[in-house]
Amino acid sequence: MKIGTMRLGLLALLFAIPAVAQETAPPATDDDAPLEVDIVGGISEPMPIAVPVMPTPAATPTAQGDTVSLGRQVAEIVSNDLRSSGLFTPVGPGGLPAVSFAQVTAPDLATWRPMNAQALVQGFVRAEGDGDLTIGCYLYDVSAGTELTRQGFTVAPANWRRAAHKCADAIYARLTGETAYFDTRLVYVAETGPKAKRVKRIAVMDSDGSNHRFLTTGQSTVLTPRFSPRGGQLVYMTYADKLPRVYVLDLASGRQRPLVAAQNMTFAARYSPDGRNILFSMAVAGNTDIYRVSAEGGQPQRLTNAPGIDTGGSYAPDGTRIVFESDRGGSQQLYVMGGDGANQRRISFGGAAYATPVWSPRGDVIAFTRIGGGRFRIGTMTPAGAGEKLLTESWQDEGPSWAPNGRVIMFHRTAQGSGKADLWSVDLTGVNERRIPTPLDGSDPSWSPLLD
Amino acid sequence: MDRADGAGLGAAMAGHVALFGALSLGLAAAIPPKPVPPPSMEVEFVEEIALQSATAQPSPQEQAAAVAPEIGRVDEAMPAPAPLPEPLPAPPPAKTIMPEKPAPAKAVAAKVKPETAKAKPLAKAKTEALPTAKSTKPEKTAARAPRIGKDFLAGLSDPSPVTADTPAAAVMSAVALADIQAAIKRQIQPCADRQVNPGPGASRITVKLNLRLNRDGSLASAPRVVSASGVDDENSRYEKRVADLAIAAYKGCAPLKGLPDDLYRTAKGGWSNVNMNYKLPG
Repeated sequence: MKIGTMRLGLLALLFAIPAVAQETAPPATDDDAPLEVDIVGGISEPMPIAVPVMPTPAATPTAQGDTVSLGRQVAEIVSNDLRSSGLFTPVGPGGLPAVSFAQVTAPDLATWRPMNAQALVQGFVRAEGDGDLTIGCYLYDVSAGTELTRQGFTVAPANWRRAAHKCADAIYARLTGETAYFDTRLVYVAETGPKAKRVKRIAVMDSDGSNHRFLTTGQSTVLTPRFSPRGGQLVYMTYADKLPRVYVLDLASGRQRPLVAAQNMTFAARYSPDGRNILFSMAVAGNTDIYRVSAEGGQPQRLTNAPGIDTGGSYAPDGTRIVFESDRGGSQQLYVMGGDGANQRRISFGGAAYATPVWSPRGDVIAFTRIGGGRFRIGTMTPAGAGEKLLTESWQDEGPSWAPNGRVIMFHRTAQGSGKADLWSVDLTGVNERRIPTPLDGSDPSWSPLLD
Repeated sequence: MDRADGAGLGAAMAGHVALFGALSLGLAAAIPPKPVPPPSMEVEFVEEIALQSATAQPSPQEQAAAVAPEIGRVDEAMPAPAPLPEPLPAPPPAKTIMPEKPAPAKAVAAKVKPETAKAKPLAKAKTEALPTAKSTKPEKTAARAPRIGKDFLAGLSDPSPVTADTPAAAVMSAVALADIQAAIKRQIQPCADRQVNPGPGASRITVKLNLRLNRDGSLASAPRVVSASGVDDENSRYEKRVADLAIAAYKGCAPLKGLPDDLYRTAKGGWSNVNMNYKLPG
């Protein structure tokens, strides 16, 4: 009898253990094959994201306004940046409930779920004792209830806008998987005056159009400004010497110098990805070829020697290859060659002319202007010339320039008739075409690298 | 034309007619009949059917009712040692269903089978797992007790709390599996449909998410990314994001509701352990 009872007790124990384990957490036994469920779902639409005003722990006056108003403006910049990518439909900061400082790190997601926002950006603006500003930036997945990223930026008050762009960059990068591009600058040719007598000046501005300023006076026409890979210098072409020549401009000091000493026509300059060299075209004795010169100056080295015009050289991101345009075959077409000029071969065969090739910073595609059927359109193809895809449909779109993440292309669009030009951007997928606001008409845009 | 000619002509004609007939028949046989399009068949997805175990699972009420109150002879029951002022309140039916003889056990099975088959015809194959083991245990004293309660006129249903055990081994059949998959899919789909494609090529990625669930449908632990397939040079930057989307799709529509409790865990798996393979459309 006793044994029987004991056995019963043991049995109970044996059963009790799995029962308890089951209640707390199902044991992850390996032989327990999971039940497979396939779910396919999603949309290709901008993501709704809420960006409420960023609170401050204590309202403090700064040189750029008090921290309360800065909190609103930072949220506005983040919201505008995200909207400009075309991948988000931000809500706020206007019209959203106020967020307390304590809620920044502990969001009340129940408030946000009914608003249908998938993601929530919260943050704060705090004045530090030494006069700096700290801008905190938090991203939450509303439905999953998880924090996706957080970043803090301590900046001098004058740089508060950059901190806001950095916040937008962090959110963009986390939600898209791309590297970011909001904390960048754009350089372009600002155009004023009538069509026959245009004044063209190089202007630089933040990616959202703020901090706009001119770099040249407008006394001589300028074209094709291009940022150096670190963003500290520009190369551009100017008619200052009556002869078109490429100049190098140092942004910090404002000093400029001719790229090469020779009194030849030089144009279409572009930095190598490592910033050490500059590719450019030079016309010598009636033949235009592509040359390479050290960014510090020195003796240029000729890379092409075919009769005709070889121009528009652009390095692959690893620097081992160069894409360029040439009319050696009768019409403008794209060619690829090694970094030393070897193995030149044509890659464009689309039954039209192709110009202004630019290698993507990702390396996978080359953007170009396709000229055919009375229209100029922006497109991409692989470095082997396959997969040609046209991204724009307008009358005259030309001069592509890549965003540093290789996802967005900026170009300029000239209106039929008036000749009025402005800057546009388009996503690599051909959607999200949008005008980039500039105070003046603009052409020849170039994107800076992501700023440090 | 002489007679021989006539006979020859007649024979030739007859031969030709015969040949023509033979060839026609052969030809008719050789020509394949025009394929008749099969009658169109209406197909409906099974998402609306209720989730049930494949095991025939008689409700305890039915079990109790199946052993009709006439079991046990009243005359035997009357001289029970304890004075019974009134007809006994119904004893625990799991024990009372069995009389001394095992025969009624068969009656239980016989009675139960048609009913469950009616409720779920697709589950026929699995009815052998009937819970007869326990119920065949005879119980002496209770069997003698009168089974006629004061409510016997109300019918077969036994109002007393029924403690019959649920069937020990629920079986995950293909149908039950499809039901559970459809139920999970139906619940998660609206949240999956809200996830935003991060960029070109992301739809080639499939993320396998392992979900450990409690019996109430809630998550027992955080979803775990088991693997991601379809990742290549172009879309690798989106891998982490697609994993995010998979988790958000699940959590947004969690916890799971209405899954059959008996299929929470079976010998052939259950919904306690689910792999959700999430992919963007395209």
